[in-house]
Amino acid sequence: MNKEKTDGLKARGKFVGFFRSLPEKAKKKFSGTKEILTQGNGKVCASMCIMGLGQLLYKQWAKGIIFLVLQLAFIAYFVLTGATDLFGFFTLGTREGNAWYGVEGDNSVVMLIMGIFAILMIVFYVAIYISNVKDVYKTQCACDTSKNPELFKSEVAGLLDKSFYKTALALPVIGVCVFSILPIVFMILIAFTNYGGDTIPPALVDWVGFQNFAKILTLGQFAPTFFKIFGWNMIWAVLSTAINYFAGLGLALLLNKACVKGKAFWRAFPILAYAIPGFITLLGFKFMFSYGGPINYYIQNAGNPAVDFLGINAQWTARLIGLAVNAWISIPSTMLLATGILSNINTDLYEAARVDGASAWKQFIKITLPYMLFATTPVLISQFIGNFNNFGIFYFLRGGLYTEGYFLASDTDLLINWLYNMSIDNNYYSIGAAISLIIFIITSVISLAVYVFSPSYKQEETFR
Amino acid sequence: MRKTLSALIAHVAIMLAVIITLGTLGIIASNIQSAGAEKFTGELERNVTLRILENDTAKEQGYLAELLAAFNEKYKEYGITAVDANMDQYTDLEKGGPYGYGPDVLYQANDAVMKYTEGKHILPLPIEQLECFNYLGENAWKAYTSTFGEQQYVFGVPVNIQQPLLYYREDLLPQNWQTDWDDDKNGLPDMVENWTDLFRFSKQIRQESGGSKYGYMKSLNDGYFASGYFFSYGGYVFGGEDGKDTSDVGFSKGQSYKGAKIIRQLASCMNLECTEDTITKNAYSRLASGTYFATMTTPDVYTLFLKEMVLAGYTEEYARENLKVIPVPKLPVSGDLEDESQGMTEMTVMGGVNGYAVSSYTKAPNAALAFVNFATSYEMINRRCELLGISPARSDVASAKGGLNETINENLDKGVIYVMPSVRALAQVWTPLQTFCAILADDVLNQKNLYVTDEAFKNGLANVDKQIYDAIHTLAG
Repeated sequence: MNKEKTDGLKARGKFVGFFRSLPEKAKKKFSGTKEILTQGNGKVCASMCIMGLGQLLYKQWAKGIIFLVLQLAFIAYFVLTGATDLFGFFTLGTREGNAWYGVEGDNSVVMLIMGIFAILMIVFYVAIYISNVKDVYKTQCACDTSKNPELFKSEVAGLLDKSFYKTALALPVIGVCVFSILPIVFMILIAFTNYGGDTIPPALVDWVGFQNFAKILTLGQFAPTFFKIFGWNMIWAVLSTAINYFAGLGLALLLNKACVKGKAFWRAFPILAYAIPGFITLLGFKFMFSYGGPINYYIQNAGNPAVDFLGINAQWTARLIGLAVNAWISIPSTMLLATGILSNINTDLYEAARVDGASAWKQFIKITLPYMLFATTPVLISQFIGNFNNFGIFYFLRGGLYTEGYFLASDTDLLINWLYNMSIDNNYYSIGAAISLIIFIITSVISLAVYVFSPSYKQEETFR
Repeated sequence: MRKTLSALIAHVAIMLAVIITLGTLGIIASNIQSAGAEKFTGELERNVTLRILENDTAKEQGYLAELLAAFNEKYKEYGITAVDANMDQYTDLEKGGPYGYGPDVLYQANDAVMKYTEGKHILPLPIEQLECFNYLGENAWKAYTSTFGEQQYVFGVPVNIQQPLLYYREDLLPQNWQTDWDDDKNGLPDMVENWTDLFRFSKQIRQESGGSKYGYMKSLNDGYFASGYFFSYGGYVFGGEDGKDTSDVGFSKGQSYKGAKIIRQLASCMNLECTEDTITKNAYSRLASGTYFATMTTPDVYTLFLKEMVLAGYTEEYARENLKVIPVPKLPVSGDLEDESQGMTEMTVMGGVNGYAVSSYTKAPNAALAFVNFATSYEMINRRCELLGISPARSDVASAKGGLNETINENLDKGVIYVMPSVRALAQVWTPLQTFCAILADDVLNQKNLYVTDEAFKNGLANVDKQIYDAIHTLAG
């Protein structure tokens, strides 16, 4: 059995194994809960009833008070605003404002965000409640086995030593919840509302279930355009990622050659292209390829007719220009990345290969490329997703065109451009969110599949 | 296990009881709201600061500073101070206003202002109380009128009329224009009076210069300017009495296909640059260099043309003398630039009316109304004209100024200016329209000849209407 096949099977095994282990993990987790429920004594029951009470009965004053205060704080939050926020999450408002008379109404969007926050707070509270019960049960176990329960002081000391990861991660986790999870959940939930079009606050937004998805799937005009754009989007994402990656790698290898004089000088040129804001580069290229631009000027001066590089008829010319311009913008970053990684390759490998009589191409295929792919697959995936969702390229190069046979799109538009035309341009935020969700599912499936079958996952130990 | 489960249930029950009881009280308390009240009571608020959003030109030319100083002086006894809102001229009140970030008084185009009415972000104004009320025409007010329920409201006070104008170089006219190009002997060259002669002259220039010079040049894919050709033959943007019925898209209505034919014909005396925005970008320098004889654009860019002519080596005096700005030429009734037999008709152009509106979120509505009244007074509009070169919506100022100002004012009254519909859906018009216009130009310049018959033009325009309709309605409702 060859190595690739073995790696493939290993990767598949790991992937399948992960999902197979889930019920086992859940069972294990549940058995812990079952143990607490069956073995917990009166003090555990006290803590289950009122947080911190069991700890107080065990004379763990500090911990008991902290849990009690947290419960009271949660109640206070819910009484003051949480209940209203949670209620608002389901209704999304009942009173429409009227700014003419200074009547302040409900802002459905704010209510949705605050509702999500209230739910996060409930999840947070449940997590604290569980830790409160676990903690008191741990104390019960310690007492039952005649050991001294851990002192609060030593537990706090542990947070700076053995359990320091908890301390270090607490703030980032809260940050991720508020600044990442909350907006993502918000975006997902928007897909299930009628937010957008004429329904923008102060008008009240409503929950509409799966209507937006049904609309996308059932509208006859969408299907042909969707598949045409999706097909081109895939070609674009694969080609542009490949071009940027291999050209960047090639450039890095070229500039790594010992024979190249003034490496810093040559490396500065691509970095300049990288440093200029993308949209300025794009507008510059748009001008260069326009009828009045310098390229057509020279073409016409040479006695040829002007070329429609980006106009109505320029389907493939415009697509190729898009690929080239994207390469111009993106190759430098890959080159910089590759330059850094190449400097870490063990030169003995090449020396050994040369002794064995391997050609330069063989060395590239067998040493450089596998190493690069191993080290950069996650970056490659992020580049693929970035290219898949590359809004700017065709928006700036060839925006403002609808071509024959496409529904509200041109033949160079990517899904993200089409999404923009249909939703944001029209303020249909809910439809935009629904399409985003579909794009997210597509890109995440592709990314996951690529990652699982990549050397970074299959040959995790190879370069360690 | 029963004991622990009971404790768990007890915890949940306690929490729910406390939260539901006290939380419900909180919800009830937050539902109590004031009924609101009429804002324009006539009583000026005292010691307030008004944030005024004006356009960049008014700031740059010093008009805003003059206006603020004069207003503040007049209302100092009330402690009312108007200040520059220091915001982008296109600031979206809808986004910032409800959260307290918007201006109190804003000056924007009618389509921008009127989109705020949907969320009641601007106040309906008691316009009868304003000094300018009797001096503004029906069509100017109409641009700021909207119906809620059965009631009609006016939300803005018109100040400035925007319409496309023809810019041309008088010194590039042929020497013999008075004898050969002035059939009606009215002292105005025929090529700037009607499109048929402008087309003929443009072809002549191209021929004589061997293709290096052009007569009339314009990016034909610019929907704002191109739409006039369709309007002139019965086309419209949206139907309905107020022109806001988005279910009725009307670019293909009437005999608008004649407008499409004219666009295609005009392209034949230009080059492929007319299918994109190159000409719009280069018009200033190319008119200055004499490469173009004429172009069409809005009145506010006059100084840019002058600047380019000075850069091209002319004195400012010479530039002012020879750069002419006039209303757009007349169109042939036949819809054929080579057929004058059926006579000429006025060209209807898309235009707009810029004006003042009052934010619903202002803390001082009466003071804001006083500001609008002051800023639209005869003296201030007259001064605005002098400093900024606007075309006033006030008929008394327009009459006093005479010339082009008076003509533009009359054009609005006559309906020759098709005021941009004040609806959000207008944003969906431009892409289909500019694509079709570019296709028309491309059709003749690349000799595809797909648009030759009237039927082909009609089908093309029907497709534009469909695309606009789809863009607005497919995902709505």
